[in-house]
Amino acid sequence: MSTATLLDKQAARRGPAADDDRRIDAVGYLFVAFFTIPFFLFNILPVFFGIYVGFTRWSIVGSPRWIGFDNYAQAFHDKWVWVGFQNVLLYGVLIVPSVTMLGLAFALFVNRGYPLSGLARSLFFAPNVVSATVIGLVWVWLLDTQYGLLNHYLGFLGIEAVPWLTSTQWSLVGVSIASVWWDLGLAFVLFLAALQDIPSDLTEAAMVDGAGRWNRLRFIILPHLRPVISMVVTLQLISTLRIFSQVYVMTNGGPGTSSQSPIYYVYQVAIVRNLFGYASAIAMLLFVGILVLTFLQRFMLSERA
Amino acid sequence: MSIMPGRLRNWLDERRMTALDLPIWLLGMIVALAWFAPFIWMVSTSLKYPSDVMTLEIEWFPRRITFDNYIKVFSYPVVRWGLNSLIQAVTSTALSVLFGAMAGYALARLKFPGRDALFALFLASLMIPTEVSIVPMLLGFIKLGWASSYQALILPTIGNVFSVYIFRQFFLSFPREIEEAARVDGAGPLRLFFLIALPLARAPAIAATVILFTLNWNNFLWPLLVTFDESMKTLPVGIAAFTPVVGTHTQLEGFSVAMAAITILSVPSLLLFFLLQRYFIQGISQGSIKQ
Repeated sequence: MSTATLLDKQAARRGPAADDDRRIDAVGYLFVAFFTIPFFLFNILPVFFGIYVGFTRWSIVGSPRWIGFDNYAQAFHDKWVWVGFQNVLLYGVLIVPSVTMLGLAFALFVNRGYPLSGLARSLFFAPNVVSATVIGLVWVWLLDTQYGLLNHYLGFLGIEAVPWLTSTQWSLVGVSIASVWWDLGLAFVLFLAALQDIPSDLTEAAMVDGAGRWNRLRFIILPHLRPVISMVVTLQLISTLRIFSQVYVMTNGGPGTSSQSPIYYVYQVAIVRNLFGYASAIAMLLFVGILVLTFLQRFMLSERA
Repeated sequence: MSIMPGRLRNWLDERRMTALDLPIWLLGMIVALAWFAPFIWMVSTSLKYPSDVMTLEIEWFPRRITFDNYIKVFSYPVVRWGLNSLIQAVTSTALSVLFGAMAGYALARLKFPGRDALFALFLASLMIPTEVSIVPMLLGFIKLGWASSYQALILPTIGNVFSVYIFRQFFLSFPREIEEAARVDGAGPLRLFFLIALPLARAPAIAATVILFTLNWNNFLWPLLVTFDESMKTLPVGIAAFTPVVGTHTQLEGFSVAMAAITILSVPSLLLFFLLQRYFIQGISQGSIKQ
């Protein structure tokens, strides 16, 4: 603090012009330290520790044994790893387009500024603020085969009761429905913010030129939203690759392994089978997948710009 | 359009709506209500007698209500779990908002070598999913003998970059004149920050607080892994075990109790959201759009 004050005084003596380019606020290090220390200890260090753990055989009791790439070799031959990655691709196919399209549709609606659109905005976003436990339990009840609301209303359309969470064919779809309901809020808010950024004279000019709703959407609004759409798709894809909590609450990965996800498998390997090294290695594989996707998105965005 | 009664016509004109807007508006509002309906169903089920729950008739508003389900919820250690959740969420949020504000201020306003590299590192770290570091971190906490402890629940949640980011954005556009005046009066950086800058940063402080509190209150995977003791569970983790097991007795009476439990769990975050939604929505769109 004292050195910084001294520097400040020197700066003040030199006048405001010099102040801005040559000043060094040593106190800045103190300001960032409070955040940076826990950040390094709990956000950065565990990643490097995890890389190391991934090369060992390690359980809660005992000490680590270095085994090189054995965990990774084992992962490639592990049927359940493949099942997890296969399931998560299906989750992605179901969840990402639904969240993107519904989120965009809801945002377009709210952005029209009809009466009560503030209320609609709150209702669309609300599921995003509750925990996975709430999402999971509400949907286990709504998706109940015999007494669930969804099957009840689908019955009016002549659709026979679907065993959403109790059959290997449907469990992944059931969990995806709950996930869309939970995740949509973020996509919705991002689209809404982007829509409000479109200069109103642009759409008004198009209206004067006689452009209908569809043409305005296609030629003005959608091109303007392209970067946000790309961002929403990437964010949602990444969060879907990490899907765990709702799976844990709703189906425990089952029936069988039909709704299991990679992180669910990591959880089982670590907690149930007590193989921390192997669990870390599987998590690393997922991390690499996520990094590749992130870079692909950055690359595609900069190509366009 | 001639078939439209004059009063409706006027109502639409006042709102700059056309005849085509009316069905879109109605449909959209119905979808919005349906989107929220699961919460209504949750509360409605929580107030029903167990025998009125698993029925083929749909009763959105129960004919007869009971609070027995809530009483049954309290036969589990929910008070303890709630207390754990509160301690964890309040401490984590307070620390990450305060530390985030200090770091955000320094990154926006103070000059020191390495500043921009540090910020770039913060942003880059957003690409690391927490799930990757969670297994090694768990191992670390177990080896330290810190499993099932408050420090295990709290420490890993402090370094939240969102908080730094939202304060940095705010202080970047914060008028320099106010600080310059105080600086000439001889105020050092610490006083400048705590007495002048921080009190003016109400908007990002509220946004960061509500968003991080919700995040911490809802946190699931880490508390699930790190709490082996029943008494150290947090509310979301404890209540997750209320899932009625298919084909057993718990399935028959379970849903009303489970819905009561998650009504209790969702009230704090829903209330916070409805009261302060402007901050939620602005904070979230600011926080993610520019990354």
